[in-house]
Amino acid sequence: MHFAGRHVISIADFSRAEILRILEVAQGIEAGQRRELLAGRLMATLFFEPSTRTRLSFEAAMLKLGGEVIGFSDAGSTSTKKGESLADTIRMVEHYADVIVMRHPRDGAARLAGEISKVPVINGGDGGNQHPSQTFLDLYTIAKLFPELIDGRRELTIAFAGDLRYGRTVHSLLTALCHFRVRLLTVAPRGLEMPDQYLHHAREAGIAVTEVGHLQDAIAQSDVLYMTRLQEERFPDALEFDHIKASYRITAAMLAGAPSQLRILHPLPRVNEIAIDVDRTPHAHYFAQAGNGIPVRQALLGLVLGAL
Amino acid sequence: MTDQPVTASNTRVRQVEAIVNGTVIDHIPGAMTLKVANLIATANDQVSIGMNLRSERLGRKGVVKISGRELDERTLSRLALIAPSATVSIIRDYQVVQKFAVPMPTMFEDIARCANPNCVTNHEKWSSRLAVISLDPLRVRCVYCERGFETAELVLV
Repeated sequence: MHFAGRHVISIADFSRAEILRILEVAQGIEAGQRRELLAGRLMATLFFEPSTRTRLSFEAAMLKLGGEVIGFSDAGSTSTKKGESLADTIRMVEHYADVIVMRHPRDGAARLAGEISKVPVINGGDGGNQHPSQTFLDLYTIAKLFPELIDGRRELTIAFAGDLRYGRTVHSLLTALCHFRVRLLTVAPRGLEMPDQYLHHAREAGIAVTEVGHLQDAIAQSDVLYMTRLQEERFPDALEFDHIKASYRITAAMLAGAPSQLRILHPLPRVNEIAIDVDRTPHAHYFAQAGNGIPVRQALLGLVLGAL
Repeated sequence: MTDQPVTASNTRVRQVEAIVNGTVIDHIPGAMTLKVANLIATANDQVSIGMNLRSERLGRKGVVKISGRELDERTLSRLALIAPSATVSIIRDYQVVQKFAVPMPTMFEDIARCANPNCVTNHEKWSSRLAVISLDPLRVRCVYCERGFETAELVLV
């Protein structure tokens, strides 16, 4: 297993053993102090598209390990606006930094950057395609809550709800879950169901996938309910959006009879799909999930920089 | 030759004129015949086309004959993408000296644009790379944006 110098582009590039190694390293970092691990190393954050959590948590991860950070978070302030190609930007930045974390609006931009760069590129989101560090932190969160994910002693039931068609986080997470013993429930509005290629891949991996009609059905049966945001622009009819939005909203009252172990995850930002009153229930776990982004991103940085 | 159907008098008649030297592309799915001719022929080539010929394998097929020229590797790759069932015969002095199925590459490099309009390869000056993920039907996946496509969705470069 070789991580030093490696790019982190797509979850599909990682084997089960490699995923487990990343989770194990994250756990070790969270348990101990590794303040100077990346001292003298420089991370460039190239955010051609805005981001709150991903950029801040990568920067926090680097700084907490003693490294330093340069970068931009608005493509409008860069030479891209003057017409510089992505390839040329990467050819320049690879001489400045030891590792590049990039978010870009085009699908496949991270793979292209990785083909050019001599320093590791970590994909912080490429259009609607991949967001692997989110998937590693989702897996880390699930594994911390339910060690059965790793040891396979019990089949976990994981429900995905919301926009399963366009939501890249659920596509990547499903791809990763194919390495583990889980069954999947899906709840999605008509037209926003999980694309066939992902369902096919899951079934080939031996995962039972069941479509359920209502959120309440998923709540009653699941260990993990992974919510995603419904985006208004996906709905041609504003009235239809309002109607569907109401049926994809979890409230504390809906959780009254939920299994005690149920935990609700969300890649954030949440808008209306999780009511504020859910935050006070023991089922809410989305902010803790976001917090797990730090040790997981520390693990990724430490591994690709060859420090671990 | 496979483009010689049996006539009522049981005499084999060539439906597309023979060529002295060159290349015959046979077993082209009917609808793709003109596309194949358009793909391989240059303005100066002498080309003969047979369309909607009877074929046991395909029902209806097309044949394209191009005189005085053999196909290069890139043209064969392009042919594999639009007519994977085709066969290629090299003709010298009216004789078939070599016949082979269109070789199927594992990767189409800069042969067709990715069909995803938001794919980075459609916005940067960068070659497309489409990996073959299934043969029947032929499906490819963009190495960059990771989307899968049927070949009918693609536009040749």
